[in-house]
Amino acid sequence: MNLKSKSSPQRHRDTEKSEKQSKAFRAFFQESQGWLPLYLRVSVVKIFCLSLSLLLLTIPAHAALNVFACEPEWAALTQELAGDKATLYTATGALQDPHRIEARPSLIARARRANLVVCTGAELEVAWLPVVLRESGNNTVLPGSDGYFEAAQFVTMLEVPTRLDRGEGDVHALGNPHIQTDPRNFLPVAEALGKRLAQLDPGHAAHYRQRLAAFKQQWRAAIAKWEAQAAPLKGVAVVLQHKGLPYLSHWLGLNEVVALEPKPGMEPSAAHLAQVLNTLQKQPARMVLRAAYQNERPSEWIAQRAHIAAVVLPYTVGGSDKAKDLYGLFDDTIARLLAGLQ
Amino acid sequence: MNTLEFDILLPAFLAGLLVLATHIPFGMRVLQRGVIFADLAVAQIAGLGGVIAGLLDLADQPLLVQLIAAASALCGAALLAWIERNAAEVKEAYIGLTFVLAASLGILLMSRDVHAGEHLKDLLVGQILWVNNTQLIGTAVLSAVLLIVWRSLHGSPSHLVFYALFALAITASVQLVGIYLVFASLIVPALATYQLQQCRMTFAFGIGIAGYVLGLLLSVWLDLPAGVAIVWAMAVVGLSTAILKRPG
Repeated sequence: MNLKSKSSPQRHRDTEKSEKQSKAFRAFFQESQGWLPLYLRVSVVKIFCLSLSLLLLTIPAHAALNVFACEPEWAALTQELAGDKATLYTATGALQDPHRIEARPSLIARARRANLVVCTGAELEVAWLPVVLRESGNNTVLPGSDGYFEAAQFVTMLEVPTRLDRGEGDVHALGNPHIQTDPRNFLPVAEALGKRLAQLDPGHAAHYRQRLAAFKQQWRAAIAKWEAQAAPLKGVAVVLQHKGLPYLSHWLGLNEVVALEPKPGMEPSAAHLAQVLNTLQKQPARMVLRAAYQNERPSEWIAQRAHIAAVVLPYTVGGSDKAKDLYGLFDDTIARLLAGLQ
Repeated sequence: MNTLEFDILLPAFLAGLLVLATHIPFGMRVLQRGVIFADLAVAQIAGLGGVIAGLLDLADQPLLVQLIAAASALCGAALLAWIERNAAEVKEAYIGLTFVLAASLGILLMSRDVHAGEHLKDLLVGQILWVNNTQLIGTAVLSAVLLIVWRSLHGSPSHLVFYALFALAITASVQLVGIYLVFASLIVPALATYQLQQCRMTFAFGIGIAGYVLGLLLSVWLDLPAGVAIVWAMAVVGLSTAILKRPG
């Protein structure tokens, strides 16, 4: 049963492909009919068939790995490290809350075909990924196997609770999982991911090694550039809409004065807001920060009352028009923070 | 209470007054007609309009999004009026089905476009403490117009006009205070004063205002989320009034 359902979508796609090919073939053949002599026509057909079969043979070598990325930042990193050697699928969009997404059959189908699952881990995807992986029936990408990669394992986690108390709301036992807001975290993750890619696709190990080295060099240079640009941000007091940016604050030395929403998506009490305004009177902040996927109303509320700038951060790749890849993500993040200072 | 807390509570309280101004007379009519869940259906259809606006890439033009949401709500109103005229006996079933279909269609459309999903959420989950002045002024103007039309018809308009006024009021109030508070403001004062012969309107407004004041104060004193605290405060005030003022 399982086997059957696995092979049928594949077969369907194959028929589709061969239909397309035969159509192209017919068109080519008819076009050539008028002016090519018969023996040439036959050899054209032969060459065509030969090149087609060569092409079909080379397709698997071109896209060796099917990679299922939980978040856009890991898809972007895999793209940097694998180039054309991986076919990418991203499970969540930049404007979705990665904690909560709708389970769709397409997710399970993609997980079924995946050779490698690249996720944040640290309980970020705990609400949906275990179900998707279980339903996929794909043993090679289950947690613990080589096809399962958790970025958070290679990063020094912040906000690891000393005492676990779920009453505090959105607490992650393994620390805050939103590690993608500090570019320095991408270095150890890239190192491990590059090795994993080479391990899963040993035929192209040299390719991955070379791309990893190039990425590390470029990324270090980019970090140095961003840090120079972001120098005026050091020690700047900010309000957070929701506590989710500890890595960014840690990296740039932002001073998180207070957070508006103690629990994400839950309306705070009037007492909490009074406390926020009280704190801001004593310690004025320069701007309020929110991620692109969050509702704008809380930020706008505090921006109007405390007369500070409301800054929307792309938060991940695709979160703004300029954050098209990993470099764009941090270019835009720094640019928006600097604009908030003015 | 210090001035800081008063500063936070005043806009929320004004939002509550604006919602009550239209919802108490509408709520009485809704109760009388037995279309209690019409507000949920209309709100959901307005939310659907928001999703469609998102799909059309109009998300950065808030006025246009509002117009599309209001237009969708008016279409919903026409549908409800048609249901009441043609299927009066099973109208609650039709209204419930309309709600479910609108909500499901929203999710279906959203599955293609994540931006639109944010709009559905924004349109449905208003949070009373985040109210800003623009919203207050906009809703005040709209409520005044709706009440003038309502008055000029002596509180007994046709099906279609009633549902149209109702739909516009709901579209604005849901974004201001959220779906739970809209439902409570509509039903609690009307239901608690159901059996009163005299001064029904006064008592209904008393219950509504007391609910908002008490709920907001509880939110300050006990550190509770404001919207849901108001819903419970209003229900308790309403229930007490109904028991104290019961006939006989």
